[in-house]
Amino acid sequence: MSALERQFSRRRLLGSAAAIAGGGLLLGCAPGASRSATDLSYWHLMTGGDGIVMAGLVDAVNGLGLGFRATQTVLAWGPPYYTKLAMASAGGRAPDLAIMHASRIAGYAPGGLLEPWDLELLAEVGVHERDFPPLVWQKGRYDGKLYSIALDTHPFVLYYNTDHAQKAGVTDALQTMKSPEEFTEVALKLQKVTGKHGLSYGYLGDGSQMWRLFYTLYRQQNAEMKLVPGQQAQVDEAAAVKALKFVQSLLDDTIATKAGDGGTATSEFLHGESGLFFGGVWELPVLKDSKLPFDARPIPTLFGTDAAYADSHTFVLPRQANVDPERRRHTYQLVAEVLKRSVKWAGAGHIPAYQPVVQSAEYQALKPQSNYAGIPAYVNYDPDAWFGGAGSDFHRYFAENVQNVFLGSGDPAAGFEGFVKRLNVLLDRPQPV
Amino acid sequence: MSTPLGRRNESLTGWAFAAPFAVLFVLFLVVPAIYGLYLSFTGETLTGKGGELLGFANYAEALTDPDMWRSLGNTLWFTLLSTVPLVVLSLALALLVNLGLPGRWLWRLSFFLPYLLASTVVVMFWSWMYNPKLGLINGVLAEFGIAPVAWLQDPNVAMISVVVTTLWWTIGFNFLLYLAALQNIPEQQFEAAAIDGAGKWRQLFAIVIPQLAPTTGLILTLQVLASLKVFDQIYMLTNGGPAGSTRSIVQYIYESGFTGYRFGYSSAISYLFFAIIVLVSLAQYKLINRNRSAHERA
Amino acid sequence: MSTYTLSRGIKRGYKPGENPWSVSRMVALLVLAVLAATWLVPFAWAVLTSLKSEADAGASSISLNPPDGLGFDAYRKVLAAGDIPAWAWNSLLTSVAITLLTVATSALAGYAFSRIGFTGRRWLYAAIIAAIIIPPQLLIVPLFRQMLSFNLVDTYWGIILPQAFAPAMVLILKRFFDQIPIELEDAARVDGANRLRVFWSIVLPLSRPILAAVAIFVFIGAWNNFLWPFIVTTDADLMTLPVGLQTVKSAYGLQYAQNMASAILAALPLVLVFLFFQRQIIKGIATTGFGGQ
Repeated sequence: MSALERQFSRRRLLGSAAAIAGGGLLLGCAPGASRSATDLSYWHLMTGGDGIVMAGLVDAVNGLGLGFRATQTVLAWGPPYYTKLAMASAGGRAPDLAIMHASRIAGYAPGGLLEPWDLELLAEVGVHERDFPPLVWQKGRYDGKLYSIALDTHPFVLYYNTDHAQKAGVTDALQTMKSPEEFTEVALKLQKVTGKHGLSYGYLGDGSQMWRLFYTLYRQQNAEMKLVPGQQAQVDEAAAVKALKFVQSLLDDTIATKAGDGGTATSEFLHGESGLFFGGVWELPVLKDSKLPFDARPIPTLFGTDAAYADSHTFVLPRQANVDPERRRHTYQLVAEVLKRSVKWAGAGHIPAYQPVVQSAEYQALKPQSNYAGIPAYVNYDPDAWFGGAGSDFHRYFAENVQNVFLGSGDPAAGFEGFVKRLNVLLDRPQPV
Repeated sequence: MSTPLGRRNESLTGWAFAAPFAVLFVLFLVVPAIYGLYLSFTGETLTGKGGELLGFANYAEALTDPDMWRSLGNTLWFTLLSTVPLVVLSLALALLVNLGLPGRWLWRLSFFLPYLLASTVVVMFWSWMYNPKLGLINGVLAEFGIAPVAWLQDPNVAMISVVVTTLWWTIGFNFLLYLAALQNIPEQQFEAAAIDGAGKWRQLFAIVIPQLAPTTGLILTLQVLASLKVFDQIYMLTNGGPAGSTRSIVQYIYESGFTGYRFGYSSAISYLFFAIIVLVSLAQYKLINRNRSAHERA
Repeated sequence: MSTYTLSRGIKRGYKPGENPWSVSRMVALLVLAVLAATWLVPFAWAVLTSLKSEADAGASSISLNPPDGLGFDAYRKVLAAGDIPAWAWNSLLTSVAITLLTVATSALAGYAFSRIGFTGRRWLYAAIIAAIIIPPQLLIVPLFRQMLSFNLVDTYWGIILPQAFAPAMVLILKRFFDQIPIELEDAARVDGANRLRVFWSIVLPLSRPILAAVAIFVFIGAWNNFLWPFIVTTDADLMTLPVGLQTVKSAYGLQYAQNMASAILAALPLVLVFLFFQRQIIKGIATTGFGGQ
């Protein structure tokens, strides 16, 4: 063997050894292999105050010694989360459990991206239909099967400054008002007290925020919105125009600032520069931290019918190619245990969906949370559509067409028609799920 | 070796050498390229539904889709805004560093280092710089009594912020190419020019910049193509917002396919965009070749 | 085989008889210093933030001397959480595999194109040249669909394989091999050495600089690549450093100091490698950037 040859074969040997080692390493680390029946993966999109509470709940359940450990993975809220979740389900290696907004189920369940919950297994871990408000439970159903179990309902509500209300003499009116005129009157009286604005409402660049108020007022007129693929959107344009005109009348730079974003509105209310504040219940922790004298109630019924926009955080089972029955069972236990502890979740403002918690003295003592605990009885979720739901294109299209109406420069009818036209384009497309 | 057998052997050897590459090439480039073209004529979705042929429906929809045009417009605007400073400034930096001033390695390091960072790291740094309340930029502005700017939230400013970040991140590559090209200009040319009495500035425009023309052509080509494909830093800095004002076409392809589940539609946009890339490449090829032949004739 | 060099000895930028301390040169130096400082500011600001306490980092002032002092607390917390080391390992594993595979496949194919007359060579070569113009970003959807059917979504191989070949590198290496005098190989072949042996023992040793250049270029690209690993991984345990940092958030909200510490840690490996191998890396990038000419 020549020196050259020897060198060649030695190197070749080393080379292939390295290649084999490398290959083995890669294969050895292939996913799935490392996951045991006791290791649950759980995805959600809660950060900040919500995230801390959720992390605490997961830790508490892990500490029970039920024979499993859940590891949470937090992804960025909105489209990034839902995109990843859909891709993970399509790939078949999805997490064992995930949080999903109830309004998103319509975009997931039909495509086989979720697996239905087994009612018998749920009963075994102590979760029954009777423990949930009917509307909230029903929202989790699709095509006769249950795809999601609600953890909470988080509506859009009205906060008010109790000191200002007393000075303006509207404390009682705040509880009894029943018409747009009464609401305007209360807001104007509060404006006189603050010297700045009566109401804080931020919406600029935030389609979801615009939609929440609009849809509450629209549904209070008993108006429906049905989105059936292949058909034109069924809407009540007169009701929509009425709702938009009312919003416009509030955003007049006296009652409320004409062009406010979320941050500005919150800070205005926090600094006592307004008496009323339209916001989600998830704003509660920030308001509580501020020591502001305030209270909260459902958005008053101004157009005859009780209605409130809300969404729910729900538990779903993303589709997995290979389901381990043992792990699945543990997942059910995890959900049941979190539900039973969801009074902690109420601390972040949300209304627990699990009724035994809502009925507990501990929850009833929570103020102002228990003031709006009745909302789930008449809650209004987004209309079902594959393109709808929290942080979806649906909300973005609403903003694109209606923001100038809110700003006062656009015509309500024209803006709403533009939105419906956009919906019709989407409904005309083949449904991708 | 010119026997038929030898030739066949040679052929087999050739294929054996080329095979590892060819297999990957076919499997992960040729096949997806063709498959994508096929998908663009179907209603295929992420969930595997709707695989039936639709003809040109996806293309027709894309051509009338305002979001598609907006993203395309943003992409072209970004390409223009980023390419000009990325070529001009990188040349200026290379010329400055090439003056032979002390501390060369430090200058080279400063301008090149960001190029070694992953887009994610770059965006983390810059989101923090741009932070409206806590960021360094608004902090410094405040020292001078200037009102804070919503660098990433204001639709009139967001694209500029994205371009600045891109400039910081990627200029090192062009800078390096220019620096290398500058060092390959023969010394004698300068000496000859100096004897002719040409000043520094005249040398720059009479010798250096013409000598760099092929390099500039290459950098321009690479830069335009890179800018057209922008995704990472925009997706992470602004997620295409505010109100779609910075969304690039690649992000729209990603969103149509994965957020909107519509694989077929997304593929159609990919192919429309590919047509633009081919056109741009051809135009540049022609331009550079014409320059080159003009150069040779002279 | 003229590789671009930046290291051929320091060139004097001024001519004999010229004053190295002239006013114009001082102005140029000042401009350069200001620009370089500007370029380093984002690093410095990130490092400073990463050394602060969370309370100080979240305070709206640009203090260089925060009340809680400076320390490595944020780094300790980030490393203890364990995600960053795991993602760095994934990055290292996949980048090394991609680099080895790309260099190997490109060198073999480049050699075949340069030296061996095989049937279909011209067709394949034309296809490769045409392929250079196809941006991989446009293939994400069909490629993901394909990975679904290969069952490679959320696997290391799913990250590696679509990045394990590079048409441009084949061309660069072919051009380089073209310039190696063929006589060197002929002698060995007369002695009866087969192609593989000639390639391995004669061609490759001569090609070390260009192979290093290609490897450096590919490794940096793979280590930093975002889009494809982002598409093909959804499992947080399998993510590479850039993808994990972008995708996975903290349940505890924005923690600025830890955020910057993570960014610095993610940047560190390549920055350190660069500081040690500055010359080779710059040369490698310039060479491949110019298409190996």
